[in-house]
Amino acid sequence: MTMTNPNEDNLDDIFAQARAVQVTPDDDLVARVLADAAAVQAGFTPVAVNPSSGFWAGLMEAIGGWPALGGLATATVAGLWIGVAPPASVADLTASYLGDEVSVSLFATDPGFDIGEMVDG
Amino acid sequence: MTRSDDPFAGVPDAAVLVAFANGDGQAARVLTARLLPRVLAQATRMLGNVAEAEDVAQDAMIRLWKMAPDWRQDTAQVSTWLYRVVANLCTDRLRKRRGAVSLDQVAEALDGSPSAAAQMQTKARMMALSDALAQLPDRQAQAVALRHLEGVSNPEIAQIMDISVRSVESLTARGKRALAALMAGRKAELGYDDDQPE
Repeated sequence: MTMTNPNEDNLDDIFAQARAVQVTPDDDLVARVLADAAAVQAGFTPVAVNPSSGFWAGLMEAIGGWPALGGLATATVAGLWIGVAPPASVADLTASYLGDEVSVSLFATDPGFDIGEMVDG
Repeated sequence: MTRSDDPFAGVPDAAVLVAFANGDGQAARVLTARLLPRVLAQATRMLGNVAEAEDVAQDAMIRLWKMAPDWRQDTAQVSTWLYRVVANLCTDRLRKRRGAVSLDQVAEALDGSPSAAAQMQTKARMMALSDALAQLPDRQAQAVALRHLEGVSNPEIAQIMDISVRSVESLTARGKRALAALMAGRKAELGYDDDQPE
């Protein structure tokens, strides 16, 4: 035989009443919740690239805007300069890998340089 | 919202949440219609006070909106996540309420008419239950509320609270005993003079 605890019986009765409570969100609460949702969702949009702004605007946004573009331009010019006029250390490194050093100057630094010499061999 | 008004009919909550994060204009309305009633009901049962429950419900939904971009569909169900958030928000409020008894102001409003008296008694019991929950340790209060006020199964409570089923059983058993003892001291004012539930 099982003894029931009257205090727990009362509690079970109160639990049952609590479960039966019906609560419907009123219009004001729904409006507040939807306003919050709109505000939060609006904060998501700057992350997305606007398709109407075109390819270049999208690319600019993707790489981080003008400051990033400035850095990119500097790096590009520096790379071009190193390619055109390599420092000695770079030239040495090239020679050690390729076994021979071939240097072609784009600048006519020698006043006696004549294209005819190359043609005549 | 009827089923025909739901442009996401048949689509799981988690997928609608991802649509919300992607900027869908209907997703918030659909999720609010699906989830807010249950969120508000859970908060009302734990807090015994509709105004406080509405604040908690709004807060829980804001947290849902904010975490939408980070939602991983393979981790948890939206409903499970919300049960946890609401339970935590409610125990935060119950903790602040400890020591303050709010029953007196409710009982004073009895006006003698039977239906109003019965209504007020139900309100008084709900408030007394909430005040008693406030006296329990947070985890016990959450487990008892999920089990006995929401009717959630022990395995699901284990998932919600991120503990073992055995721990849930222990928490609910101890919590219920403690609640019964706390409520026993108030049974006369709650209409349980004869030790028999009505």
